[in-house]
Amino acid sequence: MPSMNSVLLISFLLFSIGVVGVLIRRNALIILMCAELMLNAANLNLIAFARHSGTVHGQAFALLVMGLAAAEVAVGLALVVALYRKKSTIQVDELDLLKG
Amino acid sequence: MERYLTAIGSHLFLVFGLLALGGAATMVFARSAVHSVVGFLFCMLALASCYLCLGAEFLATAQILVYAGGIVVLFLFVVMIVELSKYKEKTRFQVQAPWAVGMVVAGAAAFIAVFWQTYFSPSAPQALTLDPTLAQGLDVANQNAQALSRGLYADYLLPFEILSVILLVALVGAVVLAKAERT
Repeated sequence: MPSMNSVLLISFLLFSIGVVGVLIRRNALIILMCAELMLNAANLNLIAFARHSGTVHGQAFALLVMGLAAAEVAVGLALVVALYRKKSTIQVDELDLLKG
Repeated sequence: MERYLTAIGSHLFLVFGLLALGGAATMVFARSAVHSVVGFLFCMLALASCYLCLGAEFLATAQILVYAGGIVVLFLFVVMIVELSKYKEKTRFQVQAPWAVGMVVAGAAAFIAVFWQTYFSPSAPQALTLDPTLAQGLDVANQNAQALSRGLYADYLLPFEILSVILLVALVGAVVLAKAERT
């Protein structure tokens, strides 16, 4: 049986990798994937605490988060496709329309 | 041989957790976008196994269906549409990447130091446990799905309905955003 600490540590490391990915990559697709990874790290925490408390509330919440992540991906990918149509690039540091 | 298998079996969560970390690292540092998506897929499958180790059978199945079945395929389609090879990336990373990595590593080190202090100092509180005896509320008639549906439809009915509206809005929004503009 895993100990709670190992679950929390793995979820923390997954979240850190997600943050690093969002901060350093230039490709909008990979930034979206890293956001998904962070949501999943939070889900892992929710499920671990549900397992600890012996109630399904954490799991119900994780299911809601999963649905929200699916919605986010749908809109995000549509934005990426629209961006590619308009500017024919998805490198986020080449987008400076607000710079003036 | 059997001894090793039992030893691995009692640490299955750690095995899958480390696999998930490996997949995530591949996703962030891979050069080609397709390799990133494959790393993402690997990470999501390993995470589904982690959920299974934590007694969330329904969520593990949903994770595989939603992520491996839906989201990864969507990402692959977009990688196919958005021709990435046309403009070879000069660099994969932002210019401020060293700063960002340094800050995250410093934050992670601080967190782990606090973690260590809290759990391994002489006056540490009792660590939270995941005893099998604690997990009884997660099953109704030996089924996790039944327990989860009772929790979801009894206590979280309103959030569930709101989520369905959000999904509908996201669906319509995605169609509007991705539609080709008529001139």
